[in-house]
Amino acid sequence: MTTEPTGAVFDLGYVPHSGPRLGRRGAFKAVILDGVRRVLGLRRKARKKVLPWVLFGVALLPAIVFVGLAFFLSTFSPDAESPFGGHAEYFGLAAGSTLLFIALAVPELLIPDRVQGVLAVYSSRPLTARDYLLARFTSLVIVLSGFLIVPQLLLYFGLSSLDPDGVATALVANLDNLPKILATSLAFVVAYGCPAILVSIFAKRLAPASGVFLGIMFVSQVLAESLSEGAETLGRWVSLVALPDHPLAIRDWVFGEQSASIMGRAGYSPWASVGILTVIAIATGWIAIRRYRELM
Amino acid sequence: MSEPIISVTGLGHAYGDIVALHHVDLDVPPGRIGLVGANGAGKSTFIRILLGILVPTEGTVSVFGESVQPDPTTVRARVGYMPEGSCLPLDQTAADFTVYAAELAGIPAKAARQRASDVLTLVGLHEERFRFLGEFSTGMKQRAMLAQAIVHDPELVFLDEPTAGLDPEGRDEMLDLIARLGSFGINVLSSSHVLSDIERTCDWVVMLDGGRVLRNGPLAGLTDTSTVEVEVLSGQDVVVAELRRRGAEVTIRHHMIEFDHVNGDPFALIRDVLVDTGIGIRSMGAKRTTLEDIFLEGGAEDTT
Repeated sequence: MTTEPTGAVFDLGYVPHSGPRLGRRGAFKAVILDGVRRVLGLRRKARKKVLPWVLFGVALLPAIVFVGLAFFLSTFSPDAESPFGGHAEYFGLAAGSTLLFIALAVPELLIPDRVQGVLAVYSSRPLTARDYLLARFTSLVIVLSGFLIVPQLLLYFGLSSLDPDGVATALVANLDNLPKILATSLAFVVAYGCPAILVSIFAKRLAPASGVFLGIMFVSQVLAESLSEGAETLGRWVSLVALPDHPLAIRDWVFGEQSASIMGRAGYSPWASVGILTVIAIATGWIAIRRYRELM
Repeated sequence: MSEPIISVTGLGHAYGDIVALHHVDLDVPPGRIGLVGANGAGKSTFIRILLGILVPTEGTVSVFGESVQPDPTTVRARVGYMPEGSCLPLDQTAADFTVYAAELAGIPAKAARQRASDVLTLVGLHEERFRFLGEFSTGMKQRAMLAQAIVHDPELVFLDEPTAGLDPEGRDEMLDLIARLGSFGINVLSSSHVLSDIERTCDWVVMLDGGRVLRNGPLAGLTDTSTVEVEVLSGQDVVVAELRRRGAEVTIRHHMIEFDHVNGDPFALIRDVLVDTGIGIRSMGAKRTTLEDIFLEGGAEDTT
């Protein structure tokens, strides 16, 4: 009987990569996806997931409740207006949880890479400091879009579905709300995100960075609130530093609401808020790129 | 010398008043390159310039014929880097981070997962790949750092003090891994202040001291000499006198007779001397110089 070999063991050892390489574009996309996962605690330990998802729930829950109650009330009176207000009011309601979410998200996006030396890995990949920061900011924008825009869309579709004139008519009639929602969301991202980035690119630990950011936002608001009531000229100038107030001023402007913001009370045009947010965004980008060029 | 993978001309770098590299000129061929020097010799600065992290104060640098400045991304797409300090996110698993390191180099997601699995097996972390990096020992972290440096199949990998902080066993295993990289088709530039590590893993050496190049040449031949070492049982003075009488240049170091014989075979000479004097020997052989000897002597001549 002959014994033919029936199998063989191969040691593949090291196999070179012969497939495609996506280059800088692929690297950029990878940093964005990693940022989204990092902020939401995905592929991390369970404790990393708790706070972001709780805050996400806090931002979304009121929209679900509003639509639910509106549906309930509409069964009694189909023509009744929603007693909970619309998109503009919802931004005011979401501002607090958005601020807290950014206080957690931005330090998480930027500090561990720098403190744990991971920037050295980025330095050996087809990425520049500008690519890295832009990709991280894009991650923040994506997550915050979900945070700010998803509840608004829920309201948009939910309330439209209850409209006595029909869903399609209501959706078309309220279509102009969508760019307003986008513009206001962008104002929130810049007004809250940029100061958080400025703190996080220098901070070494997460919790102190979150604390300092919240402190800056709180103090700027309180300072502007108290001094704007006092000396006229000084108070007017100080109202410009009310960082949390600018997105609310822009919200009132784009939704055509009577502004109750500090900026509005001080008699500033909403363009002043747009200008200040633009300056903050440019300054943040410039400082962050200078800082990270030294590191990677 | 074959086409250089690294070319440096008039390279200088200073941190304020402190000069880290002083007018360095060198060409480095493919293979396993050892970058040797004491702490503060400029090794890490040199690697960081090659990666484009630091912009040199003067001079030009190219890797694979591509200029590193002003846009280092072209070079970065072809290299890997294992820094001296930690570079691992402690809240990620080894598998997730290695996949991410591959994707950062532009490897598509599916291929990145496959390569991460293969490379973690290669560095001996297959069993631990789903553990968080924060739970790893120093040796395991070094392996994970090596894995991220080669997962994207770079053409050249920079290893900055890869054995730092490892125990003797871990160091041994890391040096074996580095020695194997050449057979994978990956060029290696490995820096160390431990000269024996370079002797064991590299075939070309660049010696830096105080920001200047002491030596840049192949390791083979560098440590070979024409000197013969002999230890005799007794009558050392008699043997030395007889060797000198027959034209050899003799020195005595730690009970060893070291001699060169320019006019013939030194082993034939010592054989004749021992037969004529009737003196026995304890040991004999060609003297092997270590990198440490060369370093302490100031580098000797550049062989390029």
